[in-house]
Amino acid sequence: MDPEQINEFVVGYLKKKGFSSAAKDLEDFHHQNNGSSLSPIDYHNDPELTKLIRSFSQQEDDPTRYRECYSKLRSWAYNSLDLYKHELLRVMYPVFIHCYMDLVGKGHTQEARAFFNSFRKDHEMVHLRDLQKLEGVLAPSHLEEMEFARSLRKSKVNIKICQYSYDLLLQYLHRTESTLMLGIINEHINFQVYSGQPTSSSDDIEAVTIVGSFQDTANHINQKEIQWGLLEDSLEDRLEKTGGLLSDSEKGQGESKDDADDSKKRSTETGKQGSSIKKLKKDKAGNATAKVARLETSTVPPTPRVKPELALPVMSTDVEQSILEDLRNRVQLSSVAMPSVSFYTFVNTHNGLNCASISHDGSLVAGGFSDSSIKVWDMAKIGQTGSGALQGENDTNDPTIAPNGRRNYTLLLGHSGPVYSATFSPPGDFVLSSSADTTIRLWSTQLNANLVCYKGHNYPVWDVQFSPFGHYFASCSHDRTARIWSMDRIQPLRIMAGHLSDVDCVQWHPNCNYIATGSSDKTVRLWDVQTGECVRIFIGHRSMVLSLAMSPDGRYMSSGDEDGTIMMWDLSTARCITPLMGHNSCVWSLAYSGEGSLLASGSADCTVKLWDVTSSTKSTKAEEKNVSSNRLRSLRTFPTKSTPVHALRFSRRNLLFAAGAISKPAS
Amino acid sequence: MSVVPKETVEVIAQSIGITNLLPEAALMLAPDVEYRVREIMQEAIKCMRHSKRTTLTASDVDGALNLRNVEPIYGFASGAPFRFRKAIGHRDLFYTDDREVDFKEVIEAPLPKAPLDTEIVCHWLAIEGVQPAIPENAPLEVIRAPAENKPHEQKDGPLIDIRLPVKHVLSRELQLYFQKIAELAMSKSNSALFKEALVSLASDSGLHPLVPYFTNFIADEVSRGLNDFQLLFNLMHTVRSLLQNPHIHIEPYLHQLMPSVVTCLVSRKLGNRFADNHWELRDFTANLVALICKRYGTVYITLQSRLTKTLINALLDPKKALTQHYGAIQGLTALGHNVVRLLIVPNLEPYLRLLEPELDAEKQKNQTKSYEAWRVYGALLRATGLCIHDRLKIFPPLPSPSPSFLHKGKGKIINTEPQKRKLSVDSSDNRSPQKRLTTKDGPDGVQSQDHTGAAPMEVDNPVENDNQPQNSAQPSSSEQTSDANESESRNGMVKESGRGRAITMKAILDQIWKDDLDSGRLW
Repeated sequence: MDPEQINEFVVGYLKKKGFSSAAKDLEDFHHQNNGSSLSPIDYHNDPELTKLIRSFSQQEDDPTRYRECYSKLRSWAYNSLDLYKHELLRVMYPVFIHCYMDLVGKGHTQEARAFFNSFRKDHEMVHLRDLQKLEGVLAPSHLEEMEFARSLRKSKVNIKICQYSYDLLLQYLHRTESTLMLGIINEHINFQVYSGQPTSSSDDIEAVTIVGSFQDTANHINQKEIQWGLLEDSLEDRLEKTGGLLSDSEKGQGESKDDADDSKKRSTETGKQGSSIKKLKKDKAGNATAKVARLETSTVPPTPRVKPELALPVMSTDVEQSILEDLRNRVQLSSVAMPSVSFYTFVNTHNGLNCASISHDGSLVAGGFSDSSIKVWDMAKIGQTGSGALQGENDTNDPTIAPNGRRNYTLLLGHSGPVYSATFSPPGDFVLSSSADTTIRLWSTQLNANLVCYKGHNYPVWDVQFSPFGHYFASCSHDRTARIWSMDRIQPLRIMAGHLSDVDCVQWHPNCNYIATGSSDKTVRLWDVQTGECVRIFIGHRSMVLSLAMSPDGRYMSSGDEDGTIMMWDLSTARCITPLMGHNSCVWSLAYSGEGSLLASGSADCTVKLWDVTSSTKSTKAEEKNVSSNRLRSLRTFPTKSTPVHALRFSRRNLLFAAGAISKPAS
Repeated sequence: MSVVPKETVEVIAQSIGITNLLPEAALMLAPDVEYRVREIMQEAIKCMRHSKRTTLTASDVDGALNLRNVEPIYGFASGAPFRFRKAIGHRDLFYTDDREVDFKEVIEAPLPKAPLDTEIVCHWLAIEGVQPAIPENAPLEVIRAPAENKPHEQKDGPLIDIRLPVKHVLSRELQLYFQKIAELAMSKSNSALFKEALVSLASDSGLHPLVPYFTNFIADEVSRGLNDFQLLFNLMHTVRSLLQNPHIHIEPYLHQLMPSVVTCLVSRKLGNRFADNHWELRDFTANLVALICKRYGTVYITLQSRLTKTLINALLDPKKALTQHYGAIQGLTALGHNVVRLLIVPNLEPYLRLLEPELDAEKQKNQTKSYEAWRVYGALLRATGLCIHDRLKIFPPLPSPSPSFLHKGKGKIINTEPQKRKLSVDSSDNRSPQKRLTTKDGPDGVQSQDHTGAAPMEVDNPVENDNQPQNSAQPSSSEQTSDANESESRNGMVKESGRGRAITMKAILDQIWKDDLDSGRLW
């Protein structure tokens, strides 16, 4: 190649890139050396270099090149060996979205749109929701503005890939000299190469979610230690101490002694996990000798006990007594002993019911409406329930709600926007409600009046939940924070910030030391209430998380999303035990039965489903290796009469309450 | 480029008074408009989800605008979803109907009814895992074909233990109910209690699990109790109630029920006592059969053709008892005029020849036989009479038959026969004489009639969609076919009753006759 030509290329390149002074210097330099023809590098005879320089000199931001290179890479990936294909295809999605965003960033709106539309089909199946979001990005300014796009641009995607696939990919990129693709891949993908055979495509949940920068932080955060055990000296414990001997007469004599020993130990121990493991071993030894009378409890190690980090309210003795009474009368549920389901149907809501909540004993039902009102029904008063169980559980409530004219409910007015959530305090004496007017209000069911208005959030408050022991409550909002409050302060005690999008739902851990939040960024996070830190990130959902539930032993958590998928998580490992497929629309509500053996889910597809939790947890202990293949068993499906299920609640006696507004089928 | 064309931006600019918008500016704005709209929709969807809905409403969009600190768009807040209209000429362009409202109308209109207040209704969705069959719950699914479940279960992986065939669990209440109904049916009484039970059977929901037991019970009892008239009658009443119950899907069990029902229609002997009014039972069953055909003829296309085949076989077999003939005639009559016209009327003449000796009191010494013969004769008269009457109603220009006609016909039925025969002979050259029908190739003849018969049947009952697509393609011609078809039977009568008018009518009839022949060639 003619040196003059090369010089021209170089100068042209520098100019185009804006290095005008450098270009000028180079020109000057060439003018000076014009006669000498002393070239420092022998680039005349180096074809590689020539090519490289040529490729640089090409129109760098020629939009059609993206399309060409991508479609080449795509057809190569699709024609690759079957064994490695899925790994290589996994690379395609980040390349695709970054190509698109590059095009948008350079202002080639039209080409970007064309590019997007022609390859969108490939990724629609897995990434539909992301694509829908990205589709709207059409100008460089949008890239900056949109949280999702920004986090994608800033972060690298981790892709696990086997050695051979990696080599194949690199070989291909070098052979074809597609520097453009190589650049994108280098810039945005972080390969985690492992030796050996490629894994099967299904088990890698992370493969489907591109969560941006916090993939690493998530891994880091999830290393933190959490204490998921139950509170020591809880009511259940006390029941075991007092009622265990009374009710379980069929237990062997030796074992009941064991039990008494156990509970004594529990009360003296400090509740650290380490010591609980010791105890666990003892337990096992004891069980080995004793008769296997208890079916489930013998296989599942007892939950460790922890100390409360919050100062918990003191429970009055009569409330405590009634709870103990309920616990003693609890129906044992399992895959063979199904619960009874009592359904509260809201009629004549005129499409205005936003949320429903059921008190712990099922006697009070609250509905939050889009006309800013809250209506509370006392079901025992209405008398349509009439069942003995209801009456029995009911007597903790003071029946002071006077019949208000001909209305058979209590109308609570005070909000100035749609009410998005309502929750009852455990004894049922207070109701909390959250609304689009950014406030949370505390109501007394005895006075039928608003007591406190909590202002703190800046945007609509999507969800509010009382802690399992009352007094404290957690809220979450469109402002991407979750907050912890206590009833006696109008300022929040903690603000949990970290979600990348709206926080849509919140749930307390049974030991009150943690809260879980589900968000529109498709993750669930677990926060330490005391420190306000995020201690777990659960990644795996493909759409916004709408509902959460914690198992009563504190070990597991379930989350339901917009697509109808329910995921069950192990809190300590932050891994999904199993996805529960079955619903085909939003899962509005989840609830664990009192002893944690069943999970109930209520959905917009007008069904209540029951899932067997014990079968899956047992098997994970038995065979850790095959975590992904097992599934929770769907035990029953109860279709309702075109009534989406808004709320579910297991009473302490394990009666399942469900509520929803009947919807006229769309004509 | 953006889905928002720049023309839209220009139009919007004009509408708010900006006239000098540069085309470049419009081009720049268009993508941003799209982005903003998408942003608002994303927030609106969040609002929708938190309102626990799956349809987006105007209030959600208002909420989203509120989140973005934009003034909501007024004038669209309404509880009901919008009615969008399609713009003509565009595939996916919609607009909302925006009528001009007259103040006077609004003021003068009476106040609308106050909306009903919200209430809560409580019911049991499940009791210990079993859904009670109460009206508040969704109707139980019809028992699913096992094939559907199989691939699903295979996918479930190794953890799922293979489920044994589903045991049909009947609740204690349902068992008691079944026992009680069965007892009442067996009690052979016609008590008020049984009537109450029938009403309950016909109206209660949640009886579906019992249907297989009932069908079994009916089939068993009918085959066992052919001598017991009252029992049979009770059983048929039970069948009728089951059919009437709107909450029961009886289709899967029809094949079990039909044999017993048809038995009660064309059995040789029903009941063992002389006093048993088995004619009444046959009449009742005939109506039942017609009801079944009407309701399920669409689902089981072969149902009616099979039934008519059975009945016509029973009718045309001279070895069968007269009671059986009676049942067959009643069954065919109940199925409709077209069936009568196509299956009974053509066979009328040979059949009557057969019946004639029985009718004659001098030749037939057996009193019972004679009575039966007259019963059959009456049924035949009724069938043909109703058929003719129906035709006449459709055909107004013809003179209505004088009321004396039927009486007259009774007296000299044999006299009219020759005329009828003449007609039937020249109308259908393929019609076989009686002998051929009664010999072994009987089914063949029936088959051919079945085919021609199926077409006009459709005209009366559009529900009975038969397997003859040509017919539905040209309903008008088939209408004429039926009109003309019956004219063969009417011709004789017209000549008899209204000779004066016959000449003017003759032209019309000739035309119809020709149409009939033409259309007949189609199949």
